[in-house]
Amino acid sequence: MIDALTFLQAAAETATGYGSFPAIGGRAAVWIAAEVHLMFAAFVLGVPMFAVITELIGIVAKDSRYDRLSKEFTRLLVFAYSATALWGGLLLFLLTTLYPAFWGHMAEIFSLSMWIYAGLFFIESFTLYLYYYGWDRWKVGRAKWGHWGLGILLNVWGSIVMFIANGWLSYMMSPPEGTTVQGLPEGVGLWNAIANATWIPINIHRLIANAVFGGAIVAAYAAYRFLSAKTAEERAHYDWMGYVGTFIAISTFIVLPFAGYWLGREIYEYNQQMGITMMGGFMSWLWIVQAILIGVLFLAANYYLWTGMGRIPGAARFIPYTKWMLLVLVICWIVWGTPNTLIASRNEFAAMGGSRHPLLGALGLMSGKNTAVNFMILTTFLSFLMYRRANQLPTVSWAKIGTQVQTAMFGLTSAVVLGYGIYGYFVPTIVRIGFSVYQVLAVLACIIGVTVIDVLMLRGAKSRGAIRWGEMPERSQYAIFVLAVTFTWLMGLMGFARSGIRQHWHVWEVMRDTSEFAVTPALGYAANMISVCVVIFLGLVAFIFWLGGLAERAVGKPQPATGS
Amino acid sequence: MWKTNLKVLAVGLSVIVFYTAVAQIIPQLESEVPETLDLSGEVTPEILVAAGERLFNGAGGCRACHGLGSRAPNLLTDHAGQGSIGRRCGDRTGADCKTYLRESLTEPASFLVDGFTAIMPDARRQLSQDQIWALVAFLQSQGGEVTVSGADISATSSGGGAASTPAPSAAPASFSGTADPMQLVTENACVGCHALNGAGPPIGPPFDGMGSRLTADQIRRGILDPNAETAEGFESFAGTMPIDLGRKLSAQQLEAIVQFLVGRR
Repeated sequence: MIDALTFLQAAAETATGYGSFPAIGGRAAVWIAAEVHLMFAAFVLGVPMFAVITELIGIVAKDSRYDRLSKEFTRLLVFAYSATALWGGLLLFLLTTLYPAFWGHMAEIFSLSMWIYAGLFFIESFTLYLYYYGWDRWKVGRAKWGHWGLGILLNVWGSIVMFIANGWLSYMMSPPEGTTVQGLPEGVGLWNAIANATWIPINIHRLIANAVFGGAIVAAYAAYRFLSAKTAEERAHYDWMGYVGTFIAISTFIVLPFAGYWLGREIYEYNQQMGITMMGGFMSWLWIVQAILIGVLFLAANYYLWTGMGRIPGAARFIPYTKWMLLVLVICWIVWGTPNTLIASRNEFAAMGGSRHPLLGALGLMSGKNTAVNFMILTTFLSFLMYRRANQLPTVSWAKIGTQVQTAMFGLTSAVVLGYGIYGYFVPTIVRIGFSVYQVLAVLACIIGVTVIDVLMLRGAKSRGAIRWGEMPERSQYAIFVLAVTFTWLMGLMGFARSGIRQHWHVWEVMRDTSEFAVTPALGYAANMISVCVVIFLGLVAFIFWLGGLAERAVGKPQPATGS
Repeated sequence: MWKTNLKVLAVGLSVIVFYTAVAQIIPQLESEVPETLDLSGEVTPEILVAAGERLFNGAGGCRACHGLGSRAPNLLTDHAGQGSIGRRCGDRTGADCKTYLRESLTEPASFLVDGFTAIMPDARRQLSQDQIWALVAFLQSQGGEVTVSGADISATSSGGGAASTPAPSAAPASFSGTADPMQLVTENACVGCHALNGAGPPIGPPFDGMGSRLTADQIRRGILDPNAETAEGFESFAGTMPIDLGRKLSAQQLEAIVQFLVGRR
């Protein structure tokens, strides 16, 4: 009898490793559910970050515009939360039915954290409802600060929820040494599985990326409302909102490559083979596609800023420089998109005369690419600076010297970036890699130094005239849409990169993928999947925006934006 | 309003189509899954070399570093004027070419070539013993003589020496869908320890005559929980049998093996 029970139990446990899904297969089904869930999750984690920041600005500056803007962001959240939970639930069902053995392994290790995750999701949701529906009730005095505290709590819960989920996915990439299919080795606990080698860099990378993503989607919402606005007041409000969203997206995006660099370094530290698969193996072409996307982002962001100068009195003096900045961006884009040592067939190698192009191949080296991306960041920062200073007339006595110091800092930074870029061609690879740190530090120092000087210099500055919010050509709003779609697509592409480097392993070198979909697909297939996910996500977001519009009609129209 | 909606839709879709199209026109490379090799004692050098070449260029991931010569020594044409790897391997450490290549694959940090960093992982973490031998044979064939034979494979499969250290997580797939017991006991390396048809090492109780010694339930329990009991005479090998085999088999596969062994009288 006992033997029979043992057999039945074993038969139940080993019945199958994988389920099947009609038409598209199990992998595609899980891919779509996971990616769309992740996109919504990024949105609902990113938006609260600047909802509390803009609310704080509103409280401190006593400017109701910011408070209203913050509330408008939060209204989008209420709808997006439901979508996040729905797609998360769908993902869970698909994993348990299509990948039961894998999910059993994960549940065996992470069950406690899964319960905590679910509990925190409840708490986070209730905090959001309190935050949004208590907006008008707690809007003055200490109550307002209490309300702002709810916003902080919302961010805290959301971040912890994300950190827990990051523990699961980073475990799949970098499980603790000695882990087997049966579970963790003796002496290694749940915390060690969560706080694995890639957990912290992924947490940081995602925190920043969420802010970028949230900003881009909010800006797209504003752009749509701008295009469909009926009055000048509405156009002014949504023009301003679009600017704030884009500013947050681009300014946080500028630091994202540094977090990505850290993550890549940790992946190499954990397992060189995984790192090489990512950067030089079958995934090497992915980075060329990424370069194209990021080039589009930089061009669209700068175009938006340059177009926006048309509504700022005094900005005309900067316009002649933009064509040269465009030239720098395009040249850097081409350099960044140059392939280096890529996997190619013998025939392709023969056609090139080697593993890289005889003339242009040199541009594909890390030195060239790092130099290019740093110049793109510097150029975009310069655009922001011009935009910021356009209608300002400094009154401090040291304004001329301050501007000269800022110019010198740009010149010095350019020299450092270019100098190390050229020098990198004459040193071994391992030395060359270290140069990228100096280039990055120089650019960061320039951004911080120039910004500090600018803030001090523009204290008490005279205005050349108020920004004419709303007087923005329609084509500028389409640049915002390009930004939003590109950020979304980029998120899908990077998700594929992070997940794909595990290749035929559910859990790297612990649990092998033995399904019919074990092969990590080529970029063409991956691109199709990413595009499907992006269309689903943006389609649902458009629906949420429409719902937001309905809700707004029920409570009244926004206040016009004024001033600078 | 509809005009605006259509314009926004057109811009969004154009951007998506553009990126999708770019991804289609670049070279389409998939990551391959290492094929499960079933190399018997009669395997020929040609079969070994062919399997090794597929691994080197595909799932083994070797070419990403060793095909270019920038991250690791070039193994296919020439490195530092010493010729291809099959020619130069015998001069490297004093050991014969076969031993050197195998140890380089399993203990790469011990054989670091000047000018390169220790980035290569132990091949046993990703590849089976058969696959490693196939790679050795392929590398020998690059300008040298292939000396790997079926005896080498049998020797490492039977558990002797450092090279036989099992890769616990890199066991062959059991969800191949087959219910053929012969294929299953081969695929899962059972015959590496249990003698079948008079051949095989005495690491575990022989499959021959198992049906007359054990009942179906005892065999089933032995697969699902191999450490619960140890067969008489095999105490020194206790703990050798993989404890996850039962979890990797479907119920149908498990029963197929059990009935197959019950029939070995």
